[in-house]
Amino acid sequence: MSEVATVATGWGLTFVVVVTYSLWVVSRGRAIGRELGIGEAESPGSKRDTDLTTDS
Amino acid sequence: MSGGTNSTEMTATPATRVLGVSAVAATALMILLGLVISPADVVQGEAVRMLYLHVPSIWIAYGSFVLTSFSSLLFLARSKRRPDGGRHYDRLAGSAAEIGVLFTAITLITGMLWGKVTWGTYWQWDARLTTTVLLFVTYLGYLALRRLPVDPMVRGRRAAVMALISFINVPIVHYSVDWWRTLHQKASLSVGRRPEITGEMYWTLLYSVLTVTIIAAWLTVHRYRVIRLEELRDEETLEQLISSRRNEETADTAEPGDTI
Repeated sequence: MSEVATVATGWGLTFVVVVTYSLWVVSRGRAIGRELGIGEAESPGSKRDTDLTTDS
Repeated sequence: MSGGTNSTEMTATPATRVLGVSAVAATALMILLGLVISPADVVQGEAVRMLYLHVPSIWIAYGSFVLTSFSSLLFLARSKRRPDGGRHYDRLAGSAAEIGVLFTAITLITGMLWGKVTWGTYWQWDARLTTTVLLFVTYLGYLALRRLPVDPMVRGRRAAVMALISFINVPIVHYSVDWWRTLHQKASLSVGRRPEITGEMYWTLLYSVLTVTIIAAWLTVHRYRVIRLEELRDEETLEQLISSRRNEETADTAEPGDTI
């Protein structure tokens, strides 16, 4: 593999790994948040913690 | 953070958004500096550009494992004295360890590719490479331990002990190039030692460390929040199961004709 191809592979793989992990973390947060009803419109006085929003 | 039932335990969304936007902007500049502006090396040629990923990744991994150990120590020391059992320390330890494992994996990937160009081989069982892969496997074990379905406090204590034991390998990895004869070069940047690189390459490397730190901070905050959400979900599921069981027991013990 040439030097340029090695650098491209290294940088490319790094960004794929980091972006994939980031998307997994954000989507998992949103999925569990939806499951718990966090971040949705709530009635006043609800006990649910509205600070636990699942947006990035 | 804004007010709320558990607001002191939560992460602030506006802050993470700022951190996220900063990470994206910093990454764009890092690509420009690392792949375009910084020059090729006279010895290593274009392959030196792997330096801007490889070195920051292992620094962040070290930093994450330091955070894991420190949080684990605080969890062990304070878990019995705090009303919440000090579980936020456990959460922080878990999230930091996962980020550390991620960046150790990136260190290994970029190192292998760089090694193929400079040494002619992807892998060599020398001290630095062997201790790094051991570090990776040990912390993978730590993350596996955190997934065991046992009482959260018991699991937290076991994980904290394992985190402290696993940390012993971090200085061994770092100083392995000084303690043993290895194929791996000595540290490019080290406290109390003149840097091996200068000029644009030096500043690009420092900037890359800053960028990867911002990315790791964003990831750690989000992972912490997801762990908290997972705990809330587990608690809610447990409450539902207990409630359902109680209802069944009440129905079983109620005599025919009784009104509920």
